[in-house]
Amino acid sequence: MAVIIETVELKKNYGRHEAVRGLNLSVRAGSVCAFLGQNGAGKSSTIKMLLGMIHPTSGSGCIFGHRIDKEKESLLIRQKVAFVAEDKRLYDYMTVAQMIRFTKSFFPRWNHALESRLVEQFDLPLERRIRQLSKGMRTKLALLLGFARGCELLILDEPTEGLDPVAIEDVLQIVVSLTAQGTTVFFSSHQIAEVEQVADHVLMIDRGRLVLDAPMDQLKEQYRQIQAVFPEPIEERDFRLPGIEKIRTEGRTVSLVASHNVDLIVEHVRMLRAGSVDVLPISLKEIFLEKVKARP
Amino acid sequence: MLLYKAWIETRVRFFAGLIAAAIVCIFYIEQHAWLVEMWTRELQNPKGYHFAWMPLGIHEYSWYLWHYLYDNYLQQVWALFAVLFAFGGLIREKNNGTVLFSLSLPVSRSRWLLTRLTVAVLESITLSLFAVVVVLIGSAVIHQSYSLTQLLLHTALMVAAGIFIIAFGNLCYTLFPGNYLSLLLTLVILGVPYLLLQTYMQHLRYLGRTTWLGYLDFGHAMAGPWKLNWTSAPWLTLLMTWTLTAVLIGAAKVYGDRIDY
Repeated sequence: MAVIIETVELKKNYGRHEAVRGLNLSVRAGSVCAFLGQNGAGKSSTIKMLLGMIHPTSGSGCIFGHRIDKEKESLLIRQKVAFVAEDKRLYDYMTVAQMIRFTKSFFPRWNHALESRLVEQFDLPLERRIRQLSKGMRTKLALLLGFARGCELLILDEPTEGLDPVAIEDVLQIVVSLTAQGTTVFFSSHQIAEVEQVADHVLMIDRGRLVLDAPMDQLKEQYRQIQAVFPEPIEERDFRLPGIEKIRTEGRTVSLVASHNVDLIVEHVRMLRAGSVDVLPISLKEIFLEKVKARP
Repeated sequence: MLLYKAWIETRVRFFAGLIAAAIVCIFYIEQHAWLVEMWTRELQNPKGYHFAWMPLGIHEYSWYLWHYLYDNYLQQVWALFAVLFAFGGLIREKNNGTVLFSLSLPVSRSRWLLTRLTVAVLESITLSLFAVVVVLIGSAVIHQSYSLTQLLLHTALMVAAGIFIIAFGNLCYTLFPGNYLSLLLTLVILGVPYLLLQTYMQHLRYLGRTTWLGYLDFGHAMAGPWKLNWTSAPWLTLLMTWTLTAVLIGAAKVYGDRIDY
């Protein structure tokens, strides 16, 4: 599958603060790619750079082969990309109907059928001004305005923030159905459960650097937690093997997170005379916490 | 749709401008008889004020209106609202939190800027044409007349020279976002010198004197001579003003393109 988003050593500094530090990422066409990271990890800055809203300090990036740092090419990108920002404030002096009419005028491939369906599904009051909408309603309208653009790529920054569980489920279903129709989805979220539900690829960013880039299936199949109890306390340095991502020792107990090479690691642990060895599946949330926690 | 959006955002200011322009025009039309009577009394009184322009003000209604409206108060009201029409754009949206939505649309930053400026210019033209209508009707009510050609020529000159104010206001807002701060700065940087110079140069002209400061008299460039025609129009000043306007718009564009939202 073709790569439609690609960044090479992308950097963004705000004064002395390095928000994004040499990010290399790629997103393949047709995928649902989750972009995970803590607050301030650099997710929104990366997305804004991809869409030409902020300028990279250095490095480069392309969407659909168009360079993100060139204004003219950025315009071409935005013709093909629908974006729903984390801040979902819209023109509060417009009515819902005016807002929809305004937005659709820029997108020749606007999906009228989806618009009608979502207006009904989200119960959006067409004649009400946006300033009179609740936060949840504004979020639903912002999502409608993104989904109905008929674009090849959908970039969502915290799409379900402020939504109730029913609406979240609706949104995830729409994401899945759009993907089935060939739309690529790149979204950031703090809701790991949502990510596990819809994403087929995961990118994790921590302090401006990419710390994980893997398909969801691979994560589920290969990532394992290995817990071993030893007769005597043991040193961390005894576990320097390929595939070990994290080591935590508490007295005689050692907990390892392995990204691959699990069989070899288990064999090594047994060789170190472990009394018991347990190999457990690990959730995406645990992987996320291991990846972003306790880094110096 | 961009023009429609910019119009919705500025329509309150626009209607306020119409009201202000109407008040100024109606006030000076209504005051005509009283002022003429007062100047006549002054001229008849040996100890009264005797200014060179007074006979003209008494006998020429068109001079009277030009002096009070196009050389002074209508021009000032128009300039103030032209600045206010130019405020806004993506910078304001950054403060409102809607800029990410706007920038997600396939619209270049330059087009956002040009749309804002276009609406400001159109509103300014409409405001000045509205004043023409008020003057025509008001003059008819007091049984006076003012040449429509002269009215339109003065209106055209005011807008043509005043376009600089729109560009200046927009750049000021881009550099110093916020209605109050940018208005204050525009008034301090542009408004105060403009008013002081306008008053000083009017005084010198009545004394029949000239100075090099006349080249900077932006107010007079907007007003032009009392009897305006194609040959008496200040073309050189207009050319300088348009050049400056282009520079200011260019600066707003370059700065706007570099802003991180």
